[in-house]
Amino acid sequence: MDKEKIKINPEFYDIMPVEYQELVENATYGKEDRGWKDVGSSKELIEEHSLCAGCPESIAFRHILASLPNPEETVMVGSTGCTSLVFPHIALHNIHSLFGNQNAVASGLKRALAYRFPDKIKDVVVLAGDGATVDIGLDMTLQSWFRQEKFATICFDNELYANTGGQESGLMQKGFVGKMAPAGKQFEKVDMPGLAKTSGCHYVAMLTSSKPNRVEKVIRNAVLIAREIGPTYVQIYTPCILEIGKQMMEGLQEMRDSEGPGQRFEYQEFITDEAKAYMEAKHPKKKRKKKRVEEKKVD
Amino acid sequence: MYAVAEVLDESCVAHKGCRLCIMYCPEANTIMFDPEKKVAVVNEYSCKGCELCVVVCNAAKHQAIKMASR
Ligand SMILES: Cc1ncc(C[n+]2csc(CCOP(=O)(O)OP(=O)(O)O)c2C)c(N)n1
Ligand code: SF4
Ligand code: SF4
Ligand code: SF4
Ligand SMILES: [Mg+2]
Repeated sequence: MDKEKIKINPEFYDIMPVEYQELVENATYGKEDRGWKDVGSSKELIEEHSLCAGCPESIAFRHILASLPNPEETVMVGSTGCTSLVFPHIALHNIHSLFGNQNAVASGLKRALAYRFPDKIKDVVVLAGDGATVDIGLDMTLQSWFRQEKFATICFDNELYANTGGQESGLMQKGFVGKMAPAGKQFEKVDMPGLAKTSGCHYVAMLTSSKPNRVEKVIRNAVLIAREIGPTYVQIYTPCILEIGKQMMEGLQEMRDSEGPGQRFEYQEFITDEAKAYMEAKHPKKKRKKKRVEEKKVD
Repeated sequence: MYAVAEVLDESCVAHKGCRLCIMYCPEANTIMFDPEKKVAVVNEYSCKGCELCVVVCNAAKHQAIKMASR
């Protein structure tokens, strides 16, 4: 897809929904230097959706979609869960796969795209919940990494099955009592970044969605490295405020409280030498023209 | 009745570069920067009333957003 394809025939302009007009006029498709700084002044690639008021998954979605390096030529693959309530409302090609199958679907998709469009760059990005990535889809997740499939896997870690009412997940913390897990989790939170490293990922990051500049950097690295080098994995804490008993305005504070030194979402980043050399050679760090005010304050 | 966020133009310091509420509002295209008035402005139709914008604005001591009922 490119932006030409979504342009409106002038004859029909006035009868198109205003959201669509804004998308065509003012979205950041086709801009090299896109990033989270565009939010608030350009049209975002995400429309109204039905996630709960204040849901941090929603914040993370905004920052990720603003940071994708090449949205016109990106296909996202989702899975069942709260994230799947957003996919129908994004202005990007996307596939909804059966719960847990997302990395298998993405493997076939990336190969088919490379075969069908040998001269084009096509990015594939999986975005799914922790239940889909680490429990029911763990087989597909790991096998795609063993096979060195070239796409990015993003896991929205809210440490439980939110969409079905709070069942235990592999990424739930030990001892946590969920609404549908009344006995409390008896095992440790799975070390998924550790598994990603030993299973062949070339770039691994664990973070929360509290710092848009960090999300932007990580997503850019994950997508660009996956494009040519091999699999990448990003785990973002997007707390389910509903299931952990927080108020709707408390999600940001919850993320900040969980990313301090020694906390379970303390920032981690891993990159292989091969991926590092590739990034330095082909995608050197962007220099921002404008100084980003307020960025320091939120760090 | 439901609650929506409202920016008090005279207190908003978006002209100095503040974008906190725009960054952290969970809803896309909901708090926008008005390039003429140089303030943040809320699109009420997509505001879900979560008050996160009020929290971040107050934390930075700007006190420029209040909740209003509709
Ligand atoms: C094959 C299959 N098994 C089970 C379900 C039921 N189901 C729907 S959403 C969900 C949990 C999703 O949890 P997670 O992936 O962590 O996403 P979240 O809702 O927490 O964002 C389950 C088990 C399903 N839809 N399909
Ligand atoms: S149930 Fe939890 S994860 Fe799902 S939309 Fe609501 S707050 Fe977000
Ligand atoms: S956080 Fe407050 S001061 Fe800053 S732009 Fe938003 S309304 Fe204005
Ligand atoms: S109340 Fe919530 S949804 Fe409404 S503008 Fe503020 S942060 Fe956005
Ligand atoms: Mg989950």
